[in-house]
Amino acid sequence: MSAAMTQTTAASPVKRRFDGKRIALTCVLAFGAFTMIVPFLWMILTSVKGPGELIEFPPTFWPKEWAWSNYAEALDAAPFATYFRNSFIIATGHTIITLIFGAMAGYALARIPFRGRELVFLGFIAMLMIPTYTKIVPQFLIVKFMPLFGGNDILGQGGSGWLNTWWALLIPGGLSPFAIFLFRQFYLSLPRELEEAARIDGLGEFRIWGQVYTPLIKPALATVALLTFQDSWNNFLWPLLVTTRDDLRVIQVGLAVFRQEETTQWAYLMAGSTLATIPMVLLFLVAQRYFIQGFTNAGIK
Amino acid sequence: MTSWTRRGAAALLAAATTSLVLAACGDDSETSSENGSGDGQVSGELTVLTPIFEGAEGKALLEEELLPQFYEQYPDVTVTVDYTDYGSLNEKLTTAVASGLVPDVMMMGVGWIEAFAENGILADLGELGITVDDLSEDFTPEILAGGVWQDDLYAIPIMLDTRFGIARKDLLAEAGFDEPPSSLEELREYAIALTERDSGGQLQRAGFDMLSMDLRQMYEVFLFAHGGSLFSEDFTEPTFNSPEGVAALQYLVDLMHEDRVEDIGFSSTDIDVHPLLNDRAAMAVGHNNLWIQLQEAAPELADQLVPFTITGSEPGMFFGGTLATVSAGSDHPEAAAALVEFLTGPEAALGANEQRGNVPARTELLDSEYVQNNPLVQFAMENLEIAQREGGVPQWLEIRGDFTPAIEAALLGEKTPQQALDDLAGEAREAMAR
Amino acid sequence: MTTKPSGTVAGSEPATARRWRSRRRPSASRKLRRAGWLMVAPALGHSILWIAIPVLATLVLSFTDYRVISAPRWVGLDNYIEIWNDAVFRKATWNTIVYTFFTVPVSMAVAVVIAVLLNQRIVGRTLYRAAFFLPHVTATVAIAMVWLWMYNPQYGLLNGLLSIVGLPGQVWLGNPDWALWSVIIVGIWQGIGIKMLIYLAALQNIDPNLYEAASIDGASKIQQFFSVTLPMLKPATFFVFVVSIIGAFQVFDQIYVLTDGGPANATTMMTYEVYRSAFQNFRMGMACAQSVVLFAFLIVLTVVNRRLTGGDDT
Repeated sequence: MSAAMTQTTAASPVKRRFDGKRIALTCVLAFGAFTMIVPFLWMILTSVKGPGELIEFPPTFWPKEWAWSNYAEALDAAPFATYFRNSFIIATGHTIITLIFGAMAGYALARIPFRGRELVFLGFIAMLMIPTYTKIVPQFLIVKFMPLFGGNDILGQGGSGWLNTWWALLIPGGLSPFAIFLFRQFYLSLPRELEEAARIDGLGEFRIWGQVYTPLIKPALATVALLTFQDSWNNFLWPLLVTTRDDLRVIQVGLAVFRQEETTQWAYLMAGSTLATIPMVLLFLVAQRYFIQGFTNAGIK
Repeated sequence: MTSWTRRGAAALLAAATTSLVLAACGDDSETSSENGSGDGQVSGELTVLTPIFEGAEGKALLEEELLPQFYEQYPDVTVTVDYTDYGSLNEKLTTAVASGLVPDVMMMGVGWIEAFAENGILADLGELGITVDDLSEDFTPEILAGGVWQDDLYAIPIMLDTRFGIARKDLLAEAGFDEPPSSLEELREYAIALTERDSGGQLQRAGFDMLSMDLRQMYEVFLFAHGGSLFSEDFTEPTFNSPEGVAALQYLVDLMHEDRVEDIGFSSTDIDVHPLLNDRAAMAVGHNNLWIQLQEAAPELADQLVPFTITGSEPGMFFGGTLATVSAGSDHPEAAAALVEFLTGPEAALGANEQRGNVPARTELLDSEYVQNNPLVQFAMENLEIAQREGGVPQWLEIRGDFTPAIEAALLGEKTPQQALDDLAGEAREAMAR
Repeated sequence: MTTKPSGTVAGSEPATARRWRSRRRPSASRKLRRAGWLMVAPALGHSILWIAIPVLATLVLSFTDYRVISAPRWVGLDNYIEIWNDAVFRKATWNTIVYTFFTVPVSMAVAVVIAVLLNQRIVGRTLYRAAFFLPHVTATVAIAMVWLWMYNPQYGLLNGLLSIVGLPGQVWLGNPDWALWSVIIVGIWQGIGIKMLIYLAALQNIDPNLYEAASIDGASKIQQFFSVTLPMLKPATFFVFVVSIIGAFQVFDQIYVLTDGGPANATTMMTYEVYRSAFQNFRMGMACAQSVVLFAFLIVLTVVNRRLTGGDDT
């Protein structure tokens, strides 16, 4: 039913198919989309070029010979299987933490009146405003002086805290105010009749959150999941800083092997980057399937 | 009531913050006062932070080939290696020092030692039995000086990155020159002759490429060639704005604007291919590891690349590099010193250099097969006695970042060379006074 | 705080009335309040530990000379005075403002239009959506290389196009007059994808009946966009706007890979200076002070924005 409604916005496509405006629009869209794809294409095409072709001038776009062996050679340059697994665990962990606690906080900020709510909300926004580079040293110190972990005493002295542990990789980056903020906005856009009805029915807030509202914001859940996963997948500096062991390192650290002070091994770097990007593209394709009318008429008369 | 709690919470946070910082500092001084008790048997668990030996290949070299030899000599020592890349070395070192968990052995660059030694983070290797005199047979004095701070040795070089002139023999020959230029006048003359533009004035080939190299390091080559220096002998004053320094920058500005041997934007440090390799430049200030790129991408040019020293009142050549140090807070200083000696020793250093295409710091390695088969590295090693380094003052890390914008300002004509360097010297003086 | 509490019935009541009511019906209201705090607590605790404390540390350290490799030394306002007199940081501030002023509105406008277009049933919709999101997942270095190629004065696409229409080419990234604009174009281009994604998600929550009602009233597609779509997207727009401004003020990657702040500091930005101070110059105290200045700009912008737009009440 609601699908039919959406179609009304694109009123009877058949009749308009040869409309000049529509063709112009398609052209603009197609051109825009093309400019967005070019770097991605370049990445893939470069990943299969041989060294001799890479230095040609003017640079070629389409490879003359497809050196697929670059992929095997790139994968040999670092323990990518381990890195891949680690990145996957971390990104999944961050996504789960964010989806549960971020959505919960976002809901409370949007729909539950409590004193100090506005202050908490502005606090979350304010926390986005300090650049990583100045926060990172204090964050590192908190990890290192985490009491009772890694040989530390109750005051956090004597050991290495969370350094070289999964805790350091999973917890500090687990939740971003960005996600909380986004969730809040989505919960905010839903009608309030739902909560009033549910509260009158005697439902607890956790159930209203989990059973009434959250199912209605699947597009938001998909968006946040996608962005969170991708953010932590691309994380480089933090995992490098808090670990010293190779078996805890992540995929971006592996890719850094191809970029050295004076030279970059372009073909390998692009081969590795392509492999690192494909899961993200797949994830997007899965996530965007949830971009369907989340708003059902459930509960509204 | 709420305001009370809020204030209380704020106080708590502030206290937590300061205690973190204090704890970090406290930790630092505490550990640095500790001294190893390793009389007799050298033992302990060592941690190493290294930006070299990177990738699976480097790791295999270090942990499967080299370290087993070290363990044979020191069976009671174990080594854990933390690999990083050069781009993140600052961050790794910084956070390590801040938290007090400093690796026993750290590798760092030329120009860094001064700051870390000044702040008491590095162990004086002399106290661990390694002195400048011991090493003076194995290294040239200027190379060793990169590891010395106030007459004490804090670091031993492993590998060098050198910058010097590189020319394309075939392109020189086309223009009727048999040899690379031997003076600044010749360099200018050759560069003009070798520059090619199309009918529209578009630059097709730069006679002399200055822009593919980090501008600071490129300038330093010319500063040294003009007989200038970065700082006074006692390292109390910047001297790059001396007449020699200004003449060096003026020379570069003239090459760009009067002689038009290259245009702004023709090349940059971001380029993926060095212009010497695809005929877009006939001469350049180059790095020794250009040879690696050549072997991969354009092996047919192997006979065509000729290195030369850029020579003004004296020959100018620049070197940076990687040195090994021992943490002042190490629990096992003897073991750490032994590891540093091993890593900077001929075999380990040779392997590390070969992997990166760099110049071994040890003089004896000139005869090695690797060096003999790499003309650029061989050239660098044969000329090590003229190579000069950057740094010298503990504030160097603070000053160096301002060089590139200053040189850009001069090359773009926004400032005269004198102005640009005077302003830069002013900033340097401020930093040194802080 | 200064703005109207948003979103719910109880929130719009004056505080006194609420308190009075809560005394009369203590259980329901207190339960609600407790539930609110309970649901916020885990996220709040996490953020306080991992962000608020580091932010406070930043504030404290901004009054020190802290080299990280040596202990912090209290210097009072010295860092701020130096920032005030620092021509490079002033330039960075100006560049950041210009960058934000141009990238945020343009990429938001383009993103919302594309989101609306891609919310319709058009052929290849999924492909288009994926395409517009691709820059967000493509390796930053690959993006940088393609743009460096576009802007290359010798063989770049841009100068090629200009020469077709008979205009002289430019040294885009090497010319101080053009470099900032070149970076801004990349910023707009790169910012579209994620904004589009958020708008696309938000569009799903608009009640289709509203469009039906509007079209019965005879509103054209364009009129519907302004009378239904945009007002219903207000919460999303508030989010995108605030987050984009914060993001634009902290632009770093583009600068790092495209220009390194050059030529001659023409494209340096506040966050780039923070990075340089912190990890190139080893002056963490200065980096902290620069961050606090950046923070102050953003707080003012956000509060003004919230005042002007009345927040995001639906």
